[in-house]
Amino acid sequence: MRSSGPGGHLKITGTANGELEMDEKVFRIYRYAFSETDIVRGFVIASLVITCTLITAVSFSRSLTLINYQIFFIPILYATYFYTRRGLIVAGISGIAYQAVGYYYRFPDPAALMSVTSEAFLFVIIASLMTFFIERIRSGEARYRSVFEHSQLGIVLVSLPDFRIKQTNDKFSDMLHFSAGELASMTFPSLAFTDPEQSRFLDQLEKHENCENFEIRFRTKDGNSCWANLSWSAIDERTVSVTAVNINARKLIEEINNDTMMKYRMLTENSPTSILVLREGRILFANPAFAAFSEYSPGEVEGKELHLLLDTRDRDKAGEFAESPAIRTLPAGSNELQFVTKSGGLRVAMVFANRITHNNQQATMMSLVDISVQQRLEEKIQQDNERRRGIIITVAHEMRTPLQPILGYLNLLIQDPEGFGIIDSTKKMLERCLVSVERERQIINQMLELSVLDSGKIQLTFSDFSLSALVTSVLDTCGYLSKGDVTMDIPDDLIIVADRDRLYSVIDSLLSNAVNYSKPPRKIHISYRPGAGGTTHTISVQDNGIGISEAMFSSIFEPFQLADAAKLSRKYNRLGLSLSIAKKIIQMHGGDITVESTVNVGSTFTVHIPQTSAEEKTRVS
Amino acid sequence: MLVEDDRPILELMEILLSRIGYEPLIVPDVYEALDIVRNDPPALILLDVMMEPMDGWEFLEKIREEYGIKDLPVILFTASPCVEERLATLQDKNLGVLEKPVSIPELRAGLEKFLKK
Repeated sequence: MRSSGPGGHLKITGTANGELEMDEKVFRIYRYAFSETDIVRGFVIASLVITCTLITAVSFSRSLTLINYQIFFIPILYATYFYTRRGLIVAGISGIAYQAVGYYYRFPDPAALMSVTSEAFLFVIIASLMTFFIERIRSGEARYRSVFEHSQLGIVLVSLPDFRIKQTNDKFSDMLHFSAGELASMTFPSLAFTDPEQSRFLDQLEKHENCENFEIRFRTKDGNSCWANLSWSAIDERTVSVTAVNINARKLIEEINNDTMMKYRMLTENSPTSILVLREGRILFANPAFAAFSEYSPGEVEGKELHLLLDTRDRDKAGEFAESPAIRTLPAGSNELQFVTKSGGLRVAMVFANRITHNNQQATMMSLVDISVQQRLEEKIQQDNERRRGIIITVAHEMRTPLQPILGYLNLLIQDPEGFGIIDSTKKMLERCLVSVERERQIINQMLELSVLDSGKIQLTFSDFSLSALVTSVLDTCGYLSKGDVTMDIPDDLIIVADRDRLYSVIDSLLSNAVNYSKPPRKIHISYRPGAGGTTHTISVQDNGIGISEAMFSSIFEPFQLADAAKLSRKYNRLGLSLSIAKKIIQMHGGDITVESTVNVGSTFTVHIPQTSAEEKTRVS
Repeated sequence: MLVEDDRPILELMEILLSRIGYEPLIVPDVYEALDIVRNDPPALILLDVMMEPMDGWEFLEKIREEYGIKDLPVILFTASPCVEERLATLQDKNLGVLEKPVSIPELRAGLEKFLKK
């Protein structure tokens, strides 16, 4: 195969004999280019034609019938083989030369002349047929070679049975960075990256005459690996044609994906949190933590529908979680699912769901936090609290009943000492007894009230009333005015909505504390102001008592906690339940009690109650 | 009428009620008390709640529902703290409560809510 080189040289890229490339000197005559080989061949052809002409002349002159026109086929075939259509010229010249010699010796025998002319035509016919077939063969070869050379697939021809590489195209050479010559000295399986891969490859080649999509890692010339997808088929008994596609990029992505998947698996499999991956409600993946949680192995739950693992009461919820578009922010309690374990037990999990891509498809990942223990603990705490309240209520009841005769008889004796023949000193002792009994009654009542409030079974009874009238009533009834300098700054026309009786006890408790935890001269100031934004009522009770350190601010509202409890208990002989009760009552109103205090200067307790209509309060409570 | 199965309280209450100017009928047995209510109802019943074999609630239900005596004032006399909640559900304007232990002024005030001397 030839093509003209630009610099007066002919570049031979291949010949009919499969010679390797080489450069040759080119000569130009008119518009035709001739290489040295062409000139030599031309000389040979011309010599042959002349020789044939001379031999034919001798043959005619001697009437030798065995040697005549046949010898012209030597230059004709030679020329046609190398130059196809140009070979026709040689055939023409040979025909003319043969005809000239024939006519010269056979004239005027018409039969002989006809024979000579026919034989001369035969030269052209034979040359034409040769040209036709050679051109067809060469165009087929050229097409094949073009496909072979320009294919985007690597192509390798491998000889059997030794799997030696016969021929490769540029694409395959480029893939492995070897030259065609280097590859031609190798066997195909020896290109595998590792020995095990080589064995696998050889095994595959030996077992399968035809194969598709066999993936193998080759070793390139520089020692790197190169993934290729191979397909092959035997084209004859001694040759296998192999096509190779470079899949390095795809493998690299796969490796990255696998690496990511490995990390993802490592994370999920070592996670203490149960993790499920779902698509359309069906479990695609379950981690070992979920296996421990549900008692099912991952294999047992994968492929199952989630709702089948749930308690019947929660099955409707499963769909909501499976379709969740993002991390769910549901109200507390509503993102809990109850699972039925393999052994039939019930376990509760708090569930968080979010969208992920799993195996290149959208899926939902559910993280489950096992709150069974926490819930059991909460239930136990609640039961314990219930029991504790029950005990307190029972004990208090049992303690209150025997107090009745004591209180009653003391009342009787103190009210009519003369009637019962009691002297003054005895009466004083009885009065002290009465004070103690009243104290005990108060403590028991407070314990009971707190327990009942804690149980949440109490409903507030709201009404509209005058705050100043309420405070005045507390001051008058409980005699606080006589115990200190009490001032009040509450608008007379202020009407608030609250549970009057309970707010009464709150004000009473705050005033009682203000009196009890201060020394004369006591100064107590009760004030009112609307809260910020006009949405709350703010009632403050300020005293000049012993004060409370800031560290104790929160604990003074806890049951049986008093600021400096032991000391104060001794000093004032009081149990700190009234503040707990007061706070609880105000919290039931939707408000709060706060405290500001400076030790040895005084304290201010402030009640904050939301301003709401009575109707609303009733509905809320 | 005072219905109470605790003897010391019964004796005390008899004295206290007399002291504050009432004429109490002391009944330690609930069935006897029921008979009295049915045949000759008193002006008011001071009723203990935790009694055997019939508690105050059953007693109350019997006289209100079975005997149809709706107007008779009844004051539950109890040391139990959970009475008010149940009281609220009954919506009975002739029903009150006095918590044990009760002082003389409290007793007087409680009775005067229902009885005008």
